[in-house]
Amino acid sequence: MRKLLVWCCAIGFAASAWAAEEAYTVRATELKAKPYSDAQTLMTLPERSKVMVVQRRASWSQVKSGETSGWVKMLSLQLARGATDRRADNGLRSLFNVARSGGSGATVTTGVRGLSEEQLKNAQPDPQALQELERYAADRREAQRFAAEGKLQAQRVDYLAGGGK
Amino acid sequence: MRAIILLCAMTLAASAHALDFGSIDWDKAAKMVQQVKKANTEVSEPQEIELGSGIAGSLLGAAPLLDNPALQRYVNRVGRWIALQSERPDLPWHFGVLDDEDINAFAAPGGYVFITKGLLARMNNEAELAGVLAHEISHVLRKHHLQAIRKGARSELLAGLADDVIKSRGGDERLGKLVSAGTELYARGLDKEDEFESDRMGVVLAARAGYDPYGLPAVLQTLQSVNPTDSNLALMFKTHPGFDKRLELLGPLMSPALDGLEGQPDLGRRFAAVIGGGK
Repeated sequence: MRKLLVWCCAIGFAASAWAAEEAYTVRATELKAKPYSDAQTLMTLPERSKVMVVQRRASWSQVKSGETSGWVKMLSLQLARGATDRRADNGLRSLFNVARSGGSGATVTTGVRGLSEEQLKNAQPDPQALQELERYAADRREAQRFAAEGKLQAQRVDYLAGGGK
Repeated sequence: MRAIILLCAMTLAASAHALDFGSIDWDKAAKMVQQVKKANTEVSEPQEIELGSGIAGSLLGAAPLLDNPALQRYVNRVGRWIALQSERPDLPWHFGVLDDEDINAFAAPGGYVFITKGLLARMNNEAELAGVLAHEISHVLRKHHLQAIRKGARSELLAGLADDVIKSRGGDERLGKLVSAGTELYARGLDKEDEFESDRMGVVLAARAGYDPYGLPAVLQTLQSVNPTDSNLALMFKTHPGFDKRLELLGPLMSPALDGLEGQPDLGRRFAAVIGGGK
């Protein structure tokens, strides 16, 4: 029954932008009613509890644990092996379709080009692609307009001090 | 380290003139020492850009640009907006999506940043894209690749990278060798500490640009779920510290420092529209 529910959830969410993805807790974690530290604690999930991640909001992930839905700190989770493969498949499919309709057709991957160690060492420069890259550059004004469209507001934030350097 | 280079230079100078009755040409030796010393000084900005453009050209020889002008422009706008929040806002920033299923992102000196189609396909929103671009932008800001070349076997070539060399616009053999050294770095990777530093700076740059600061950690968490034997992740694994370690270091630094910015948007809808070809 539990499995069936999970499947129903998975299928239901698959239709939306974000399909639920399997994860487990890496430490004992409080399941909160809302994505705030001082929100009501619904239950405490022990380490290695299986949950389905529904969405993320900043440092919080909305999860379903059995019948209970709530929020946990994102970094107290680890996604299950292969949990994001479907996302990658969908993403690649859309990128492939757009590439096909947008231009001269999908690029055929040849054996010579690629990002393996050997291929990088033997890479021959492609000045034409470099010229094409130049054409897509955005100037200051264009970037500012784009940010305003997305209601992005610049903030003053200091760099985080790290260890070592 | 510097002492060893000086010693090598002196020895070289001495051996080159072994026929001169074993005497040392002190003028030449002094010149060489000066040149080697120059390798430890800053490379000028035009030189940095010229070198970066060469490395970017090589990288594009390995993986072509994705044939999707709307997406390429979109990524340039996100990237440029983030770069505007940095200490080098006016570099000629260029961003490109590579048509390759490998999961990776790259930076080259002077403002070149690339992300693969394979990595883009695993992202959920614009804040995640911003986090990755901001990490790469940080490599450029801190000149990590130049430092790596300087530390490597090709350090002497940087000394020859004088302004007159640059005027030859790519025809110089020494510049070609530096470009090769720079491109080979992608197969070897940077210092781990450089990666951690770019993580720390990247989340802040994304936050300054008004994005949800957790885009980069979210991508790292996504990549944790990819099967480590997946060949598309092989290069990333070889050249970067583990995702667990990166998250472990970032988490405590971000909270509580960036807690006040948790309400910033991730622009999932705008991202989906562009990825899905809605624009």
